[in-house]
Amino acid sequence: MRAKARLYPQEAARLLREKPGVRQAVTGATLHFDRNRLKAYAEVPIEEWRNRAKAVKEHVLSHLDQYLELAEKRLRENGVQVHYAEEPEDAHRLLREIVRRHGVKRAVKAKSMLTEELGVNPLLASLGVEVYETDLGEYLIQLLGEPPSHIVGPAIHLSLEGIQKLFHERFGTPLDAAPEALAQVARKVLREAFLTAELGISGANFLVAETGTLALMENEGNIRLSTSLPKVHVAFVGIEKLLPRFQDLALFLPLTARAATGQRLSTFVSLIQGPAQAGEEGPKEVHVVFVDHGRTALLADPEAWETLRCLRCGACLNACPVYRQTGGHPYGYVYSGPIGAVLDPGLLSLEEAYPLPYASTLCGACLEACPVKIPIPKLLLTWRHRAVAEGLSPAWEKAALAAFRKVMESPALYRLFSKALRGLPPPQDLLPLLRAWTEGRGPLKPSPKPFHALWKELKEEDGR
Amino acid sequence: MDARTRILNRVHRALEGRPKALLPEHPHLPFPEDPIPLFLRRLAENGAEGHLLSPKEAKALLDELAQGLPGVAFGRGVPPSFREGLSELPPEEAPLGVSQALFAVAETGTVALTSADGRKAQLLPPTHLVLVEAEKVYPTLLAAFQELKALPPALGLHSGPSKSADIGQVMVKGVHGPGRLIVAVLT
Repeated sequence: MRAKARLYPQEAARLLREKPGVRQAVTGATLHFDRNRLKAYAEVPIEEWRNRAKAVKEHVLSHLDQYLELAEKRLRENGVQVHYAEEPEDAHRLLREIVRRHGVKRAVKAKSMLTEELGVNPLLASLGVEVYETDLGEYLIQLLGEPPSHIVGPAIHLSLEGIQKLFHERFGTPLDAAPEALAQVARKVLREAFLTAELGISGANFLVAETGTLALMENEGNIRLSTSLPKVHVAFVGIEKLLPRFQDLALFLPLTARAATGQRLSTFVSLIQGPAQAGEEGPKEVHVVFVDHGRTALLADPEAWETLRCLRCGACLNACPVYRQTGGHPYGYVYSGPIGAVLDPGLLSLEEAYPLPYASTLCGACLEACPVKIPIPKLLLTWRHRAVAEGLSPAWEKAALAAFRKVMESPALYRLFSKALRGLPPPQDLLPLLRAWTEGRGPLKPSPKPFHALWKELKEEDGR
Repeated sequence: MDARTRILNRVHRALEGRPKALLPEHPHLPFPEDPIPLFLRRLAENGAEGHLLSPKEAKALLDELAQGLPGVAFGRGVPPSFREGLSELPPEEAPLGVSQALFAVAETGTVALTSADGRKAQLLPPTHLVLVEAEKVYPTLLAAFQELKALPPALGLHSGPSKSADIGQVMVKGVHGPGRLIVAVLT
């Protein structure tokens, strides 16, 4: 995926102005997810769960070379073909080879953020392969040609009316068709795809090193189908996804479900060890592709390595008052919201993603929600400090802050400017100078009297 | 040097001087409740149906579900007595699938289905009846995993009917997998 994170402020303002419905849809959906998470957290000793999950992840990451080698060994013993991809091109080369060898005409895909990073869909399309996203939300945005807006609910920014219109144009369903009817239409199209596809593509929530188990979580059954019906299954796995022991899944599966959707466990979990045995239903070939794509650089970062604990549950997105206003699109990369703001500068480069760490009020709700206690607020500040140190913040910002400081330090200058600002036309009329700031914001109205004047009056009244 | 070596070298270098974190033990928590009533309750909360039945009653339930249907798809592990008097259909065509679970988990309302039983009957028919022996109902996921001796190529954990709220945040059942899950716990 080509990143556009540098344009975050402009894109966020544009979205709020041009698509006002998105804010309502995203706020509604995320508040719903967030309430469910809080209820689900309250039901268990969640602090103990979070601490233990954090400790397990820290252990894996601090021994990652050993666990990668163990996982590879077990996977091969299970009959899985193991590959490594440093960059999207490596993944593309492998897919090209698999498509050619198996004569793949059709592929079914289970929702995976990593395949978004790698640009799997455009690559397959360029090879003439029909690709079907099979998660219902992901299918909707594929029809619209949009990227996912949320890690767990890729289509939360779409209203029911919007989807009814899309299906009306696409499949001729009535404009007031019920969600059940629309889902049935999608089920029919995608069932045909499941039954005829030669290739199934997935990501992974976890990969257990000691058993070589791929763990995948979902609610629809599309991941089970994508990894069961086609003769070839390719799973793309970020190298940070490893867990040491099979029994660790007994913590991580329910913790992820509670954090993501407030469920005790997702409706379907696939625990895949390898290809089907002779005479059994299931894929004859299973490939696991370990993907770096910026992760080893993050691992080497003395602070930002903590982001590699991320379970991709989306809980921080749901808790974030900034994300809730726009959804994920303005962030301009696969990962949005608080986790995207601390992950993307590491996965891309700070130069590419420097506005994202500023997309936060530092309220700390993300840390409260995070099932593995990633110190997101601290890391947001880390990236901001680095952005300033590297001279990435715009020159006008630096000049403005220096001027602000000067004014604030001198009572005489402060009074002068306080008076002068009241005499100026409102900032939205000073276009184009303040355009970037005023776009998408309501007009600023200064109070008729400055605070220090009110204070003086109050004291005089008291004294009387 | 290939991609594998380069990645492993970079990981190795990144970890030089990084303190090694210890791996915590699994918790050993006693589970006070009888797992079967909890299992049935959790199934209901997940939108599935659970019944505690004798094999004979379970067969009667199956016959009732199959009434008026053109046929049923069976998993390999389903005992022959359950197939009596019913015509078999491939899972692609059957409106009802019947599977034998490897185990069940009470705290999450989950049945574990093995690829050895056949995956299509677990996924393609719109209604799914799962049989599980009462002694195979474990209180927790951890307890079940600790008892697991060997792993099949694929293990599916099903905790309710297939569902999605992706269309306008309205919950819809039976999106890709079975929209109805019925579990018979066999005494």
